[in-house]
Amino acid sequence: MKILYSWLKDYLDISLSPAELEKHFTTLGMEVAQITKSGADFDGVFAARIEKIEQHPNADKLSLVTLKTAQGEQRVVCGAKNLVLGDKIALAKVGARLGSVVLKPAEIRGVVSEGMICSADELGLANTRQKGIMVLDKDIEIGAEIKTLYGKADVIFDLEITSNRPDLLSHKGVARELSILLNLPLKQQDYKPQKGNGQTLKINLPAGELGCPRYIGRTIKNVKNTASPKWMQERLLAMGANPKNALVDITNYVLYDIGHPLHAFDLNQLESGEINVRWAQDGESFLGLDGVERTLNTQNLVIADGKKPVALAGVLGGKADSIGDDTQNIFLEAAYFAPTAINKTAKQLGISTEASQRFERGADIEACDAAMDLATKLITEICGGEVSQTNDVYPVKYQPAAIVFEPEQINKILGIEIPKETLKEIFTKMSPSFAAESDKWAFTPPSYRRDITQRWDLAEEVIKFYGFDKLAQDNSGVSHASLYFGENPKNVDLGEIFANTLTSLGFLEAKNFDFVSLKDINALGFKLENTVEIKNPLAEGMEYMRPALLPSLLKNIEYNQHQSRHDLALFEYSKVFALQKGYPSEFFSLGGVICGKTPRSKFFMAEQKPVDFYFVKGIVENILAGYNIKLMPSVLAPVYMHPKICMDILLDGKAIGVLGKVHPLSAKLYGIKTDVYAFEFSTKNIEKYFDVQTFKKAKDISVYPSSTRDLSLVLDDSATFSQVEAAILEIGQGVKFALIDLYQGKNLPEGKKSITLRFEFSSNEKTLTDKEINLAIETILKTLTQKLNATLR
Amino acid sequence: MIEELKTKLSSLEENYTLKIQSAATLKDLQDLQVAALGRKGELTELLKSLKDLSLEDKKTFGPLSNTLKNKLTALFEEKQIALEAAAVNEELAKTNIDLTLPAYTFDKGRRHPLVIAQKRMVDILSKLGFIWAEGPLIEDEAHNFDALNIPKNHPARDVQDTFFVKNAVKTGFVLRTHTSGVQVRAMQKQKPPIRIIAPGRVFRSDSLDATHSPVFNQIEGLYVDKNVSLADLKRDLTVFMKGLFGNKAEVRFRPSFFPFTEPSVEVDVKCVFCEGKDPSCPVCKGTGWKEMLGAGVVHPNVLKNCGINPEEYSGYAFGMGVERLAMFSLNIKDIRTFYENDVRVLEQF
Repeated sequence: MKILYSWLKDYLDISLSPAELEKHFTTLGMEVAQITKSGADFDGVFAARIEKIEQHPNADKLSLVTLKTAQGEQRVVCGAKNLVLGDKIALAKVGARLGSVVLKPAEIRGVVSEGMICSADELGLANTRQKGIMVLDKDIEIGAEIKTLYGKADVIFDLEITSNRPDLLSHKGVARELSILLNLPLKQQDYKPQKGNGQTLKINLPAGELGCPRYIGRTIKNVKNTASPKWMQERLLAMGANPKNALVDITNYVLYDIGHPLHAFDLNQLESGEINVRWAQDGESFLGLDGVERTLNTQNLVIADGKKPVALAGVLGGKADSIGDDTQNIFLEAAYFAPTAINKTAKQLGISTEASQRFERGADIEACDAAMDLATKLITEICGGEVSQTNDVYPVKYQPAAIVFEPEQINKILGIEIPKETLKEIFTKMSPSFAAESDKWAFTPPSYRRDITQRWDLAEEVIKFYGFDKLAQDNSGVSHASLYFGENPKNVDLGEIFANTLTSLGFLEAKNFDFVSLKDINALGFKLENTVEIKNPLAEGMEYMRPALLPSLLKNIEYNQHQSRHDLALFEYSKVFALQKGYPSEFFSLGGVICGKTPRSKFFMAEQKPVDFYFVKGIVENILAGYNIKLMPSVLAPVYMHPKICMDILLDGKAIGVLGKVHPLSAKLYGIKTDVYAFEFSTKNIEKYFDVQTFKKAKDISVYPSSTRDLSLVLDDSATFSQVEAAILEIGQGVKFALIDLYQGKNLPEGKKSITLRFEFSSNEKTLTDKEINLAIETILKTLTQKLNATLR
Repeated sequence: MIEELKTKLSSLEENYTLKIQSAATLKDLQDLQVAALGRKGELTELLKSLKDLSLEDKKTFGPLSNTLKNKLTALFEEKQIALEAAAVNEELAKTNIDLTLPAYTFDKGRRHPLVIAQKRMVDILSKLGFIWAEGPLIEDEAHNFDALNIPKNHPARDVQDTFFVKNAVKTGFVLRTHTSGVQVRAMQKQKPPIRIIAPGRVFRSDSLDATHSPVFNQIEGLYVDKNVSLADLKRDLTVFMKGLFGNKAEVRFRPSFFPFTEPSVEVDVKCVFCEGKDPSCPVCKGTGWKEMLGAGVVHPNVLKNCGINPEEYSGYAFGMGVERLAMFSLNIKDIRTFYENDVRVLEQF
């Protein structure tokens, strides 16, 4: 809402600086989006014509300009580059005032300058900004005073009004609020009721209370619809409204002035002498004054004459009965339409007007007469005409309920001791009918404050006028120690541990949108009926809630490869979504992608290993160490994974995810031409094993030295390492060993391979003897020979 | 005889002390040691003559020669250590490497800047006794709107603002537009006192540009107990802001409107870049203040909707955008940066 400083002065005797006023607006909860100065804030500037341009004798970059003025020729020094012979310019004479600066006589480099040629900037005319001096219209007469071409100097505040305060969408409303804060009387304007003569149209309100609780109408005949006066045009222009003709301008003016929307109909276009405020019929059509034909339904409120809709009530006028320059007889409407009715109509038809915005937030039902009186006064003053009596249909008078409360209750909400007298003062200023009897106070909100319904609303008003800065100036409030101990949700702490492990392994954390496309769903091989779909996606490619993190992470790879970054290790811990039996479900997932060279340390002289399957497998084992996890080669890898390089991640024997190499065709779908390794698993079931409050228990370490023995074996090619592992662990769960070599090729029989295992033996009770260790090795060898046909190499 | 031997001893001592001192190499020193203390060394030979001495002379000469032997042995050891050290140092002095060559670089993984910012906020709030609570991202309208006193015709419920789920068995599932649903659930489940925060993702149908994103993160807080007031809110949020921006931070409260709080406020912090002194400051746009969060006293209707008697209990609530704060504190100018995951950005934090 734009507020003109000069207009505020109609209601308040104030002489505050714009900065002070801005502070007050902020205090009152009206955020100031912008402050602009308009009009001419200067005196003594006149039009002149450039007659001669000469070089300044002592300065390269300056010119001596001879000007023709109303008083004859004058010579000034000028540094502008856009001087053109014959152009008309704005000359500030010595003694002229530009804002707060008064122009003094000047001698520039030895030449006296008899004034200054002004730029738009120097005149404070920001709207006509051009570089260099301001060039005037050719038709302007020499000697014309420039300020007469612009409006009076003014300051325009662009205020952001919250949706609960429609009463602040006018100059009167803002002034009323300021008057309480500043303790100034609100100057009342002259809205004397205009009696008028003769009957006006018959008004019927079949829409009832839910549509139109009050409607005032009046006819004004034989008006002369000229242009509106200059002062009105200036104000409207400053508000951003283009002046049209007096009748239209007056209704707009009243809107900005006291905030109540009005509508004027061309009386000659109304049929059968009556006005009906009714719900539209289904399929009824209406041609708005914006030239658009709309089809209405029974939720749209219309103003109709005896036959057809002539306006969308409180939203938009009709084309046929709109006011033109030649309109002679009008019917003027000042009504109150119910917010929901207007909201529905405006929303359904996609129209938002100054009127609809006020009605849907709630206009002042008691301001209808004032609006009618002010408009009638202005019309008769400007356009003349014969005024009829008004027809005021107001079946149920608006009677707001009083809020009954105790003053202590207000202080309790706020947490402050405001003296009763101060409270009383604020309430009295807000509502003249305020009554304070002993401890029970009764506040009846004014008709323009429908937002106030409970004592909490009053508390807000009180602290606003009393001052937020007076709150909590000491520490005397309630205790703020923790009230009870609460743990973080498990997924939060678990995610922290995952993230710490992954970052320590060189991974960067990514965060992606939850939206994916049909292409992503297909690439993952997910079923559409199990995927959450958005009814109103923001854009193409954002139709589904991601069922997995992998597509987002692959896009991150592609993006970064495109930026010439090829060694990438990224992870994300976020929710994924699915539809289960028709209900949306969501759970946390941990996903990672890696490509290029292995992360961690890099040295320019050292060869960096490319990432391979065993790297990503190691990552997953590292993250999941300590849980009952098993990695099993996938029998049937998901479509997006390499069919042979993919393992299932099992928790308690149940698959929770996969790890491996991304299928080259899937990578290609995302524009990735290199190998990519990935893992992703649901962390939901891990949560139940996770207990942040239980500390790990330390195990005793052996004080006796341990011994190692290497064992090189020849095995069948088909024997897997997990078979070797299983066979050894069957002997004893505590056997510690590692694979240190794997060899296939020369010096080995066809179909054989060789492995070297390094065993570590130790005891907590004693130093093991060679005999004991040899026995253990023998047992292991025997077992492996029996189970896997192993021979010593 | 004994006098002669004594003279020999002292000349031997003098001679070898000098020679040991001037030995230049380990080899010289070794030769010298053999010459003095070896099996056929001078001192060894001298000691051999001990057997011909009288018992009395043995008593005199024996300790004397042993003292000399110990002394020379010590001198040899000392000199050996010195010569060895010199040899090592000489070797080291020959070293010639360019210490300014680039070192090993370590690919340190990093947390996402949004997570870093959120952790910071959550840490401060945790110290203020708030407990992290969670809820679903896909909410029903009852928790996301109805319970929060947001009227049925409120613009926030429009398809222009809220994402709706298309294919669920029933209508009314939305992508939560704020984390307030978490608060509603907490109040429905638990009796006051309640002191929780709800950090997490929210969704609004805003087109993506430099300052808007359809997906972003919020942290909302809720405190419900007996006698909780607007003053408590101001006190706690002031401490929170000081936690974020230092104890010098200045905080401003001004009235605002939200359907779920009354009174409602917006909380600004004095611009940490220009401290309100630069009229052309790009961060606060010259206003001197930066809007940080919305807050207020919990609306009695919200308490009622959640089964809490507003005559007995009261509360305050606040909510803020993580991205906005992260942009402000991490000097990120475009909100899209957070979701591009450009490793050149991620590596910086």
